Amino acid sequence: MLAYIARRIVYVIPIVISVALVCFLLVHITPGDPLVAILPADASQELAAQLRAAYGFDRPLPVQFGLWLWKAVHLDLGNSIATGRPVFTEVMTAVKNTFILACAASAIGFTLGVFFGLVAGYFRDTWLDKLATSIAVAGVSVPHYWLGMVLVIIFSVTLGWLPAVGAGPGGSSDWHWDWAHIQFLILPAVTMSVIPMGIVTRTIRALTGDILSQDFVEALRSKGLRETRVFRHVVKNAAPTAIAVMGLQLGYLLGGSILIETVFSWPGTGFLLNSAIFQRDLPLLQGTILVLALFFVFLNLVVDIAQASIDPRIKRA
Amino acid sequence: MTATDTALQAAPAHKARGYWATVGRRIVRDKVSMACALVLLAILLAAIFAPYLHLADPYQGSMVRRLRHIGTPGYPLGTDELGRDMLSRLIYGGRLSLLIGILPVILAFGIGTSLGLVAGYAGGWANTAIMRTVDVFYAFPSVLLAIAISGVLGAGVVNSIVSLTVVFVPQITRVAESVTTGVRNLDFVDAARASGAGALTIMRVHMLGNVLGPIFVYATGLISVSMILAAGLSFLGLGTKPPEPEWGLMLNTLRTAIYVNPWVAAMPGVMIFAVSICFNLLSDGLRSAMDIRN
Amino acid sequence: MPSTPNRLDRRAPLKLAAALLTGCCLISGAALAETTLRIGMTAADIPRTLGQPDQGFEGNRFTGLTMYDPLVNWDLSSATKPSVLIPGLATEWKVDDADKTKWTFKLRPGVKFHDGSDFNADAVVWNVDKVLNQAAPQFDASQVGVTASRMPTLASAKKIDDLTVELVTKEPDSFLPYNLTNLFMASPAQWQKFYAAAEGADAKAKSQAAWTAFAKDASGTGPWKMTKFVPRERLELAKNADYWDKARVPKTDKLLLLPMPEANARTAALLAGQVDWIEAPAPDALPQLKSRGFKIEANEQPHVWPWQFSRVEGSPWNDIKVRKAANLCVDREGMKDGLLGGLMVPATGTVEPGHPWRGTPTFQIKYDLAEGQKLMKEAGFGPNKKLTVKIQTSASGSGQMLPLPMNEYLQQALGECYFDVQLDVIEWNTLFTNWRRGAKDPTANGSNAINVTYAAMDPFFAMVRFLQSSMAPPTSNNWGYINNPKFDELVKKARSTFEPAARDAALAELHAASVDDAAFLYVAHDVGPRALSPKVSGLVQPKSWFVDFSPVVVAP
Repeated sequence: MLAYIARRIVYVIPIVISVALVCFLLVHITPGDPLVAILPADASQELAAQLRAAYGFDRPLPVQFGLWLWKAVHLDLGNSIATGRPVFTEVMTAVKNTFILACAASAIGFTLGVFFGLVAGYFRDTWLDKLATSIAVAGVSVPHYWLGMVLVIIFSVTLGWLPAVGAGPGGSSDWHWDWAHIQFLILPAVTMSVIPMGIVTRTIRALTGDILSQDFVEALRSKGLRETRVFRHVVKNAAPTAIAVMGLQLGYLLGGSILIETVFSWPGTGFLLNSAIFQRDLPLLQGTILVLALFFVFLNLVVDIAQASIDPRIKRA
Repeated sequence: MTATDTALQAAPAHKARGYWATVGRRIVRDKVSMACALVLLAILLAAIFAPYLHLADPYQGSMVRRLRHIGTPGYPLGTDELGRDMLSRLIYGGRLSLLIGILPVILAFGIGTSLGLVAGYAGGWANTAIMRTVDVFYAFPSVLLAIAISGVLGAGVVNSIVSLTVVFVPQITRVAESVTTGVRNLDFVDAARASGAGALTIMRVHMLGNVLGPIFVYATGLISVSMILAAGLSFLGLGTKPPEPEWGLMLNTLRTAIYVNPWVAAMPGVMIFAVSICFNLLSDGLRSAMDIRN
Repeated sequence: MPSTPNRLDRRAPLKLAAALLTGCCLISGAALAETTLRIGMTAADIPRTLGQPDQGFEGNRFTGLTMYDPLVNWDLSSATKPSVLIPGLATEWKVDDADKTKWTFKLRPGVKFHDGSDFNADAVVWNVDKVLNQAAPQFDASQVGVTASRMPTLASAKKIDDLTVELVTKEPDSFLPYNLTNLFMASPAQWQKFYAAAEGADAKAKSQAAWTAFAKDASGTGPWKMTKFVPRERLELAKNADYWDKARVPKTDKLLLLPMPEANARTAALLAGQVDWIEAPAPDALPQLKSRGFKIEANEQPHVWPWQFSRVEGSPWNDIKVRKAANLCVDREGMKDGLLGGLMVPATGTVEPGHPWRGTPTFQIKYDLAEGQKLMKEAGFGPNKKLTVKIQTSASGSGQMLPLPMNEYLQQALGECYFDVQLDVIEWNTLFTNWRRGAKDPTANGSNAINVTYAAMDPFFAMVRFLQSSMAPPTSNNWGYINNPKFDELVKKARSTFEPAARDAALAELHAASVDDAAFLYVAHDVGPRALSPKVSGLVQPKSWFVDFSPVVVAP
């Protein structure tokens, strides 16, 4: 097992370096002035050249990449051009907020997903199954940014029950798990939970159905085994795949929150990414993408290891 | 998105013709799939033949008839924030929306299948080179990758298609590679090889038939994801540019009207939802007709 | 607060008692609950807080003029009069009689920064150096772009005595006082404290760290002090009870600024009671906002929504009859009421009557279809011989108002005057870049007018950069290569006239000449709409991009 973990970790290192390279190239190969965020269009050309040199954008790309990577290893992702603040702290603050949102969404999505999935799997081809599968298909098919808008209209604007935007009365910096803050979390978290809910429902339904249709389950049942034992059997066999799917879903939520965070002005990574894109703030853009991608790589690693330790048969290279 | 990992172990060596006929019979009998196919076909045909449908000009606005309600005489689905006919814009909008939703999957299907076949059949260093490169892109969550590429390339239809294609190629390549590797080691390939068939012939005749099915099902499942992502890019201002009719962009520009006329503002979202859910159900139907385990 | 009761009123004592009682309650109420004004800004991020804000004039409005003061201020006290320059941290200024590049500024005595240190000549020199002197430790490249471009001629500063500084310009420039409204005075003592504590490999890294720290714990001289800063989410300011201008000590205890870039989200937040005030509400939500008792405030802003004509060879706009006809064929009132729900001011020039730079143009810009058609016929066009013109514009963009509908409106209106208007709609950022490249550049794509809106507060940005021939691309924004010796001469005269009234008179002459020449198609001025909760009162909405938050009161 330890050897497997070590091998997986070694295997991740080249991926991490390649990911950093892709982030850097993605942001740098495109034309456009990197200083557009702080340089007005009516600034003089001398001023533009002077600032470009001051920020080091006149150096060759490989040198810029080397410097960036070297600093990144020391947890320094440079400073944002638009705000001058260190990118690392900006991204980490945002990651914390996205993490709150993603965890809440996962809690909702996974709970409902497991419940619907088990119901659908146990009562296969009944109307309960049809209902649960319909909800699941709707969940993965709905454009969630649109769902978010609709929820705001209903619950914030029309009914006035929940706040429309933001992350708490005092901003995200003093986040507490009390009602004053949680009410801000409900709409974005519910909106965000529909996709994982749908996917988990479908996964659990398929797994449950498969396990229940195996011959020996029938045999166990006919021997008078109690349903709780059968259920435990189902859970045990479904767990590794279910955990893997959920782990990946959490990763997708962390990295794919931009649309929902934009709709709800949630100050997370997606919100940060959005402003970095529209301000063409290169250090912030490449830093945010890098951190999110690394989180995803890391999560994949954890999922693989967790899966392998639950069920040693599954060991991927 | 997750179907990759199921590895699609069972890709039984069917006899090509009889198998596809069975699949066809099964899917025609599936009411849900047929209903979805009809809805999609109707939307697609309407979009293609929009100029012959005697619709109002989707670009011609008028300030005096902004944000009419659904059911206004002459404007069955109302008008948008610039007074343009919603029915016409929704139908014309299908052109770009379906294009940037479906084309990336088709492109990725072509590229990803080729890469996966080569990697899976050749093995060795070719496999390593292709699959390690794919792994790097696979290390990005798909939404993040799509938005990062579009954000950097800038708004535009072509840029959206490029970014979504880049997102889907690694996923399809992975599926194609694992299916090919699985099929490669099956008896009938060995038999063909023993009888002296060349590598190209083996790949074309034996492997494509047995490999394409699962990849095709996987790709149809991606269309709904692609539709939502493509519209999402436009919604963020990273896709289609105004004044083109496109559902994601329409949803974006109509957002300010949601107080005045929420139903009209919600229409583009309904279209995205409808197309996306139909593709999903159709893909499910296809999957069970082909009896591929999910 | 209770006023002195009328002696003749027999019930006066009762009233007095009641008033006193109310007063007491108000005071104790205020002591219990401090009042907070919560504002939703259109900016996607809180504008920079270290003294030189980004995010354009919205930045200056919220994180410049609140926490800081410039040497020269804008008068924001009237809703009806044009906003003009008034003394800020400088009490008076004048140019050297012998050398017109040297200015003496007398500083306001007794002013203190929020950290308690004194504002003096050293502080002014330090603040000029932060953007203009690369050798100074506090030089910060990130603040240079936005600041230096708004002070194109300022070169350096020198201390004469504690309350006198000398500013030097590269060339004689009477516009310097306008430019200085963009330079905010940050506290050198506060920065020095952070600099001493900063860690960093070299002086440059330390300086950068010091500015980052300063941005989180800023210190200026303004009517509001920074109390809490959550990057990208909120900025909390508290009233500065010791503000040097006692008339402008804030009447509200706290000011809370929240970035809300989505018009819709902003409107939803106001309706849901999350904020008391939003900038630029979603236009379609105005009826609903009004019906729920929210107040819409708007006033003419120094902003112009024009078509800037190409005057290169072969341009149809080279005929003054055509330029005048276009100006006469637009029913601006119709556009205002039919299209913008009343939220615009019809433009009859860069500035309107009452403004010191208005002058007395002989050509009256108004809606006169018959006269417009007549001029077009004289120019050789008619119903069967239309003049094709192509306009480059964007579908959105800061200050562009509703570019597409407005241009479509112009398309229809000018159609009546035998114009065939074609629109080339491109992305806002691209349009803005093309604006600098000029009508001769391939990016103009054959268009012979460009529709980019601009702020018109400073004479350079309002007129000079468009009208002076030497401002043609790539130098500045004379996109259409206007080359009119009269304009050049008047610009020169205005720039070298240093007595303010005479300078304004020269600018008025320039403005009148540009209107008489129909140099632009003047269409509209923006009005900067904002929506306020019924609890908010006391706001004076001046004819400016800025607003004074000090008199605003929020009912608890």
